[in-house]
Amino acid sequence: MVNWPNFISQLFNGLVLGALLALISSGLTIIYGTLGVLNLAHGAMFMLGGYAGWVAYTYTGSFIVALVAGSLFVMLVGVVMERVIIRHFYARPHEDQLLVTFGLGIVFVETVRFFFGSLSQSVPAPPPLVGITPLGFMFYPTYRLALLGIVIVALIVLYLVLYRTRIGMIVRAGIEDSAMVDALGIDVYKVFMLVFGIGAMAAGFAGIVNAPVVSIAPDVGEAILVQTFVVVVIGGVGSFPGAVLGGLIAGEIISITSMFNPGYSYVMLFVAMTLVLVLRPYGLLGTAGRE
Amino acid sequence: MLRRRFFIIEALTAVGLIAAPFVLPHLGFSPTTMNRILVWGLFGIGFDILFGFTGLLSFGQSALFGTGGFVAAYLLTRMDFSSVIGALIIGTIAATVVGFFVGLIALRRTGIYFAMITVAIAEVFYFVEFNPLSEYTGGENGLPGVPTPSLNLGITTIEFNSDWSLYVFMAFWYFVGIVIGLRIVRSPVGAILSAIRDNPLRASAVGHNIHAYKLTAFVIAAAYAGFAGGLLGVLQAFMPPDAFTFETSGQLVMQTAIGGAGTLFGPLVGATVWLYLSDFFQTTLHLGATWKLVLGVVFVVLVCFLRRGIIGGLKDLGLWLAGRRWRGSPAEDAPAPVEVPRLASVGPSRRRNEKPFLGPALEARGLTKRFGGLIANRDINFSVGQGELRGIIGPNGAGKSTFFKMLTCEMRPTSGRIFFHGRDITDVKVARVCQLGLTKSYQVNQLFSRLTPRQNIVIAALAERRGTFSLDLLRRIDRVPGLDTQVEATLAMVSLTARADVPVVELAYGEKRRLEIGLALATSPSLLLLDEPLAGMSPHERKETVLLLKNIARGRTLVVVEHDMDAIFELAERITVLHEGAILAEGTPAEIQRNSLVQEAYLGGMAAA
Amino acid sequence: MSALLEVDRINSYYGDSHILFDVSLRVERNEVVALLGRNGAGKTTTLNTLMGFVRPQSGTILLDGTPTQNLRPHAIAQLGLQLVPESRRIFGSLSVEENIVLAGLSAKSRWPLDRVWSTFPRLRERRRSRGSNLSGGEQQMLAIARALVREPKILLLDEPFEGLAPIIVRDLLATCRTLAEAGQTIMIVEQNVTAALSLADRAYILNNGHIIDALPAQALREHPETLRGHLGV
Repeated sequence: MVNWPNFISQLFNGLVLGALLALISSGLTIIYGTLGVLNLAHGAMFMLGGYAGWVAYTYTGSFIVALVAGSLFVMLVGVVMERVIIRHFYARPHEDQLLVTFGLGIVFVETVRFFFGSLSQSVPAPPPLVGITPLGFMFYPTYRLALLGIVIVALIVLYLVLYRTRIGMIVRAGIEDSAMVDALGIDVYKVFMLVFGIGAMAAGFAGIVNAPVVSIAPDVGEAILVQTFVVVVIGGVGSFPGAVLGGLIAGEIISITSMFNPGYSYVMLFVAMTLVLVLRPYGLLGTAGRE
Repeated sequence: MLRRRFFIIEALTAVGLIAAPFVLPHLGFSPTTMNRILVWGLFGIGFDILFGFTGLLSFGQSALFGTGGFVAAYLLTRMDFSSVIGALIIGTIAATVVGFFVGLIALRRTGIYFAMITVAIAEVFYFVEFNPLSEYTGGENGLPGVPTPSLNLGITTIEFNSDWSLYVFMAFWYFVGIVIGLRIVRSPVGAILSAIRDNPLRASAVGHNIHAYKLTAFVIAAAYAGFAGGLLGVLQAFMPPDAFTFETSGQLVMQTAIGGAGTLFGPLVGATVWLYLSDFFQTTLHLGATWKLVLGVVFVVLVCFLRRGIIGGLKDLGLWLAGRRWRGSPAEDAPAPVEVPRLASVGPSRRRNEKPFLGPALEARGLTKRFGGLIANRDINFSVGQGELRGIIGPNGAGKSTFFKMLTCEMRPTSGRIFFHGRDITDVKVARVCQLGLTKSYQVNQLFSRLTPRQNIVIAALAERRGTFSLDLLRRIDRVPGLDTQVEATLAMVSLTARADVPVVELAYGEKRRLEIGLALATSPSLLLLDEPLAGMSPHERKETVLLLKNIARGRTLVVVEHDMDAIFELAERITVLHEGAILAEGTPAEIQRNSLVQEAYLGGMAAA
Repeated sequence: MSALLEVDRINSYYGDSHILFDVSLRVERNEVVALLGRNGAGKTTTLNTLMGFVRPQSGTILLDGTPTQNLRPHAIAQLGLQLVPESRRIFGSLSVEENIVLAGLSAKSRWPLDRVWSTFPRLRERRRSRGSNLSGGEQQMLAIARALVREPKILLLDEPFEGLAPIIVRDLLATCRTLAEAGQTIMIVEQNVTAALSLADRAYILNNGHIIDALPAQALREHPETLRGHLGV
């Protein structure tokens, strides 16, 4: 028989995880949509965010500062990465792009391991958010509730930036036809740099806010990368709504399957991905032409 | 390099493998390290065929590596299977079968999607190994107690139970693996895999079932992975769960890229660098885990600057030192001499199973193509007689390219049907249509640019000789019956015999255009569709090409889309004029020139001003 | 006073397909120049080279005295050249208004939105529609409006009337005439020769990548048979 409080709790976990995945995957998908590059270092960006936030928190004791400083740090890493290395790969075959982002991901992970060691580091939740909150029929960790709220706000901010600001308009136009954007007087290389920075920041931000839940370690990015890929395949490459939808679906699949048997959560994710591949090859909300 | 000097490479490999135990220990290599290098090297041969030759970057090979390894280890440790070699083979078969099904899923997409799917596959296998199947796999403990192999020779039994005897065992299997790998790469299948990497569109258009070949490459990689996985268990006397990790896949990719993809030996070189450095850093420099950071940086630097890895870099260095003697290309000095195609060298088109058909060669009935609300082609009825040379012209926006794409089965019509020698080909795919005798040459050159003209024609001729798919992995490519004749005849027809072994990148534009037509000719078409064959040509090259087309037209039906009016009026027997998606007029060149409707269409008199 | 646009012997390639052979032409201030030729002649390649999408392998392009042959498209746009491409390339996922605003973002001086609406009333009605939901004629209008917003010194039009119903062509032509009369310098590539010649002051004829003739439009209007050999069959 189903343990209802447990089930609802897992649904909530799925929502939290889903929102996180949606945020991270949005970053990956706008980078791919605009630049055409699949960033295999995206999981490492998530990991870097966690560490940057933790370092900032350790020095300042302020969660807000940690959030801001950490996010900006990862954004900077993304911008430098694009400017120094990725830019030279636009004309090269896709495989080379995959190899270089993969290699950069390894370099980031190993650099962190060099400075911080391999062991996972638990990160405390900020004091006001510690403990559990009664939600009527069940209790739920306060931080996770806050996390859900924070991530949803971040997604909304990302949405507003993309759909209500001029920068967002340029990015959306760039996803569609970056050469034409250039012909309208906007240096599209600068757009690429910005998009890469924003995409990395999305992952880094997620890494910071998620740190108190799962602890930070150099290898946390790997699992995230895989889940992000599945989300993007399900939702459709280059689509922000697709990333959100795919994220929620993936989050719930992982969460609910974990209730029955944690080992099968990945299998179920994979089954879902295969189903989408067979029935809707371009993802639920994706469009043909992006390969 | 791999194709020309037969057996030298195999001999050198054997020599190297035999000499290694005497040389490498003095450089700091322990026997265990050498054995590990061989395991990774063998793992990499299959991966290199998949990635280096076919261009499919898979991050999921650990799934097959682990499958083969754990099946073998399970048989040996939990089921008292007696023969180690037998267990290894069964493990390989298991990995091959699993690889087939995994490939079916992963290869539904290409490029980036394919890479993403393989990453997901690696993770899924790891989790399944770790949890649901942990009673078979030992979960996080793996399967200990894998025995060492032994060979019963009747009079005596050889036990491979010491470091060096294990080396002999491993080196033997590596040698076998390399020999088979070289065979595969030198076979027709190997050539086609390279062509798929170079230009999958054209490989399909000349008649190959590229999906089946890609799956073949995937399965081959799985087989090598499975066997190597089994060897790992034997080597360590223990099958570790981290065989399934994504990190294992990543290590394979990095080693192959470092050593040099597309060389078969790249993974071995890469593994040597990797394992040696890791030993060196950990034991000599006592820098612990930093070696992976250093390797990561080395890897990124190599990908940026030394694109073909260490072996590629050495090759380039060798060429540079040799003074680049053979690099001078005649094309840079003077325009290529006019070679009027020799009429006698044109052979009639060959087709197997040809029943004589008396109707039109190509017929379209009611052909319509809609894109949303836009009608590109409207109810076109079109018919070309056998042996005719038909031109298709029309002002911009007439729908010519859409029409042409439907005729070549590259695009499905919204309605209407197409008949080739009386046979309905509307729903037939490009590769199959090519096999039936209908081929196209492209307006923008679609060549296999990493190959020479001869190698290009070979790819097309292989489809003509062997059909859409043939699994002749172990056949030597020069043993395909009739291949050489077909290739030489085609090269002669397009006057490229003298330049047949110059890399395509060094050909003049006109020569490339001729090769473009040659690729289509090599498939022995009875109907040839030519899309703007004169595009981008100088007046001089145009004259040459018109002569060539007249030559080719003998014994074949030709349909040519062109904008060069002088040329098309000289060539064509009949001309079809398309305008605004429908046929405006049809007739002899003289009739078309006199037709005032056609003149108006071109001069825009139809639109109100 | 030198011409606004001076093109001197450019050679353009697609890959190694030689499309333009020593093409030279000039456009004076306030002129409308037509570039005529059959398709495949290299007209679109010429415009793409001017806009920086294709880098010429040799030759020079001077826009108001500044060499542009090695510049990227955004720099050329900033110098005052604007292209309305053959396939229009409006941003289908953006609204009409967003398309127009985007175009003006980086311009030193731009048309106020009201001026766009009064020149193209149809677009005002559809200002919130997604670009992909517009009809062919409306998309063409949007593409032209987008280019005009930036107040370009020279407007390049690539086959603006292709695929449009005659009545829409008539409207667009009238709009173009008004712009030309107001002093807008235009270079137009168009297969609809009658329409092109009704706008143009001068015409160049391009054949297989070579400029073979340059004539005043008036002469061509009076003696259309001159064109038959080059453009007809």
